[in-house]
Amino acid sequence: MMDDEEYKHLIRRCIRCSICKWIPQLQIKSKKYATICPAIDMYNFHPYSGGGKIILALALEMEKIKPSEELRDIVYKCTECGGCDVSCKFLNNLEPLEIIIKLREKLVDLGYGPMPKQQQYIDSVKKNNNPYNEPHENRLNWLPEDINIDPNAQVLYFVGCTSSYRRKEMAIAACRVLNAAGVPFNILDNEEYCCGSPVFRTGDINTFKDFMNKNVDAIEAKNIKKVVFSCAGCYDTFKVHYPLYRNYNFEVKHSVEFFNELIENGKLLLTKKVPLTVTYHDPCHLGRNAEPYKEWKGKVVNLMPLISIHVPPKPKRCGTDGVYESPRELLKKIPELKFIEMERIKEYSYCCGAGAGVKSAFPEFALHTAKNRIQEAEDTGAQVITSSCPFCSTNLQDAIHESDSLLKYYDINELLMMAIGITDEKLKEFLGEVA
Amino acid sequence: MVLENEIFKDFEDIVGKNNINDGKVITTAYAYNWCMEFFNYMEDKEPSPFSSIPKAVILPASTEEVAEIIKLCNKYGIKFKAQSTGLGPWNQPSTDNCIIVDLRRMNKLVKIDEKNLYAVIEPYVSGAQLQVEAMKYGLNCHMPGAGPHVSPLASATSMAGPGFTSPSTGHSARNVLGVEWVLPTGDIMRLGAIGLKKKPDWYNGDGPGPSLRGIMRGWVGAKSGIGVFTKVAVKLFPYPCSTDFTITGKSPNYGFKIPKYLRLYVMDCKTYEFLEEVMLKVDEEEISFMCSHLSGSGLAAIFSNSLQGLIGKAKLAQLKVPIVILITARTDREFDYKQKVMDNLIQELNIKDIIGKSYSPEPVFYAEALRSNLGLHGFITTGSFQSSKGGSDTAAVCLLSTKMNIPLKMEYIKSGAIGNDSGKGVWMTSYESGHYYHMESPTMFDQTDDHSVKGMAEYMEASNQLDLLKHLGAPFFVEGTQMHELFGPHMSNYHIWLRKIKQAFDPNNIADSGFYISPHSKE
Ligand SMILES: Cc1cc2nc3c(=O)[nH]c(=O)nc-3n(C[C@H](O)[C@H](O)[C@H](O)COP(=O)(O)OP(=O)(O)OC[C@H]3O[C@@H](n4cnc5c(N)ncnc54)[C@H](O)[C@@H]3O)c2cc1C
Ligand code: SF4
Ligand code: SF4
Repeated sequence: MMDDEEYKHLIRRCIRCSICKWIPQLQIKSKKYATICPAIDMYNFHPYSGGGKIILALALEMEKIKPSEELRDIVYKCTECGGCDVSCKFLNNLEPLEIIIKLREKLVDLGYGPMPKQQQYIDSVKKNNNPYNEPHENRLNWLPEDINIDPNAQVLYFVGCTSSYRRKEMAIAACRVLNAAGVPFNILDNEEYCCGSPVFRTGDINTFKDFMNKNVDAIEAKNIKKVVFSCAGCYDTFKVHYPLYRNYNFEVKHSVEFFNELIENGKLLLTKKVPLTVTYHDPCHLGRNAEPYKEWKGKVVNLMPLISIHVPPKPKRCGTDGVYESPRELLKKIPELKFIEMERIKEYSYCCGAGAGVKSAFPEFALHTAKNRIQEAEDTGAQVITSSCPFCSTNLQDAIHESDSLLKYYDINELLMMAIGITDEKLKEFLGEVA
Repeated sequence: MVLENEIFKDFEDIVGKNNINDGKVITTAYAYNWCMEFFNYMEDKEPSPFSSIPKAVILPASTEEVAEIIKLCNKYGIKFKAQSTGLGPWNQPSTDNCIIVDLRRMNKLVKIDEKNLYAVIEPYVSGAQLQVEAMKYGLNCHMPGAGPHVSPLASATSMAGPGFTSPSTGHSARNVLGVEWVLPTGDIMRLGAIGLKKKPDWYNGDGPGPSLRGIMRGWVGAKSGIGVFTKVAVKLFPYPCSTDFTITGKSPNYGFKIPKYLRLYVMDCKTYEFLEEVMLKVDEEEISFMCSHLSGSGLAAIFSNSLQGLIGKAKLAQLKVPIVILITARTDREFDYKQKVMDNLIQELNIKDIIGKSYSPEPVFYAEALRSNLGLHGFITTGSFQSSKGGSDTAAVCLLSTKMNIPLKMEYIKSGAIGNDSGKGVWMTSYESGHYYHMESPTMFDQTDDHSVKGMAEYMEASNQLDLLKHLGAPFFVEGTQMHELFGPHMSNYHIWLRKIKQAFDPNNIADSGFYISPHSKE
């Protein structure tokens, strides 16, 4: 991630082109679904956009504005979805997302961040090891007795706070699929802590590092070779952000990657028909933001006045290497499931609206964004919207409910369960409803 | 400077509380824009990227709301500046007694008239949005070289207007039909057939009564100095080839399934004299979708999406006087015909096309050409650029201007203030198959380097002086009282007429005339 010097340089480089308000120009397919930034879509004033937040960073640095609650509210009305970042970087060399993250850190240092509601979550993370104010000892309450856990396994399922306490069906589905594939796996029991994502995304880096160390220490102590996640947020935090502060000696995979491999290797058999028309929502933390930082060691060479290049070329993090194909391949392998794409997908997917503390601090903003996404899913003609992140799950389901949509939401692992034939109760119920 | 409570309340009553803000944070953010630093320096101010801070920013949702806002501005003596997508210093208030009317919420595509080939749009419909909807009818629109993310309405009514597809889609000023216009007094005026009492519609821009289209925007647009345009009909054109537009890969490494019937030619004319001959001949045949001259380095830039990629295209940068032609067709017969014409011209002129021989562009180039995304490549070298010149004239005058500018530009290149394009960095295109030509000289600078910013400002001033001295015509960005008064006396005293228009349409001088003309010469 960028250092202070780079930050101060880059915040002077925004050309106010507003490209960060749109999906990449070449990908625009309709007027209706041309935008990328939930914040500007909701609040309309330019500073809410990625570029607008860069201007705020500059204005703060130049002391044109002082830190204030007005400033804080604008900076935190952002899901850190990174959509702005992808669109800007098609041609530009700015780092809108990193600038936003750093600006938040600065506000925390100045005593203005995070939002009071988010602070409650952080306090709860510090106190209870989860942001939901739930007792740590209840972390495993979701776990059905008939799930086989192998304490000696080299594969670990990292459940995450949201699946442990709020989206239990996701945790259960992931474990059932693992069992069905015959993959021995372990969990961390009460040694699993919040991955630190909520504190990282609201700008509290020190607390984040504490949680990172607790988790990595616990996993390494168990001699684990591979950690599997069904939460995009935890996955992204382990894959992208932990290595910025600490190396670890295990492999990380999201369940969509792992399960897709299991199907390909013949270990997971999809035998049941799931005759549904399904569209897939790319979670930002499994998609564009899951692209790891690539280390660059080189120098800046001045070619001629005003023109310098990085030697060797510095990798640009553009969302290119997110996890996009595995969930799609997986869905396409489910018998009789008809997969259909929305307009905004993969690296230019529209955010569900829940991330970076928005769902807690600005619920109406989160809902506005999710409704937009649900509308887009409905326009495909799909019956089901699926995804692979508990935050997306909650927020999209809230939007389905609030907009009286006929769409159904299933976690991708629930669809897998149906295809494996573990339980088709839900499917039956649903097919009954749509018939 | 915030608004007084009572005044704020009056504005708030029009747009609702979420759509007006006079807080320090939001208003300061609206004071920033691209190139502001050297525009400030040109006006003997600190080279800061911030302009005067507006008193408030207001977001109307309808023409009626705009009219009410402007009436209030008249009542309270507060100036207004309208912006659509808001790119560039022209959007900035010239005084702190000004509010910004951000038209972002006015984003309706009112209609596409497939038969009569026009679309009616509001200010915040972007070029790409209009294009994709037009494509559904097999149609296309004109977009300025700025790119598909800017507002065709702003370009058509208020702001310059050449684009990469100008040989086939013309100039923004020539594409305007009916217009809905909120005058600086707050009255709503409808130009063209939409102003008719019986069966009003958008198909024609002239009348009722004398045509006011010229008065509305003149050559380069009034930049909000003569009211706010709230709806406009713009011409549409048949889409140049198959509308199948399939992007592959992931950003920034996009691939493109090149549609049928596109062919690119890049040829080195070696001298400006020969370029003129080639361009005129190609244009005379009326076959090109795009026909541009760029310097070698400019050419390499439009084919690259990073500085690193650009460096790998040193061969292109070495071309002396290149011309780029893109022909398009909708049928085999049309394509055959156009290719035959090009083959004959190439033979007759004894010139070599390098495409498919020593150079083949990445497929994504074609996608960017079709979506008018090429101008943005101007930012990849030094981080910022701005154009001097901007003549709209014969090919000969445009090329004279190009040649005369080289020694001047070289001076500033040698001083390290501006990017090295051997002084030849220009973009020249024909309009409407050679009816007339546009030429501008994009100049790279680094907005984070004071020496570069100041050098850029000095170069721009010297370039304007050169235009004056050598009778090369007014630059593209002839704007603001000072520039009009500089060039007007050499160009039929147009500035006197412009001022009369301003006085007649804006009796209370409420539309911010920072980038137009002040009603009185001493202001
Ligand atoms: C890379 C690049 C290339 C460029 N190439 C070209 C080019 O080839 N051709 C060209 O013409 N320009 C070019 N420009 C400049 C460009 O035209 C303008 O920056 C662009 O048109 C601005 O469009 P916009 O939609 O953002 O309009 P805005 O920036 O919103 O508005 C432009 C001007 O019109 C006024 N305005 C906007 N909307 C209204 C309205 N509804 N009523 C009254 N006044 C209004 C604004 O106050 C402002 O002065 C280029 C800029 C860049 C960055
Ligand atoms: S952040 Fe990037 S895309 Fe957005 S306005 Fe700035 S330069 Fe343009
Ligand atoms: S990160 Fe997402 S919400 Fe935040 S400014 Fe960028 S696009 Fe908008």
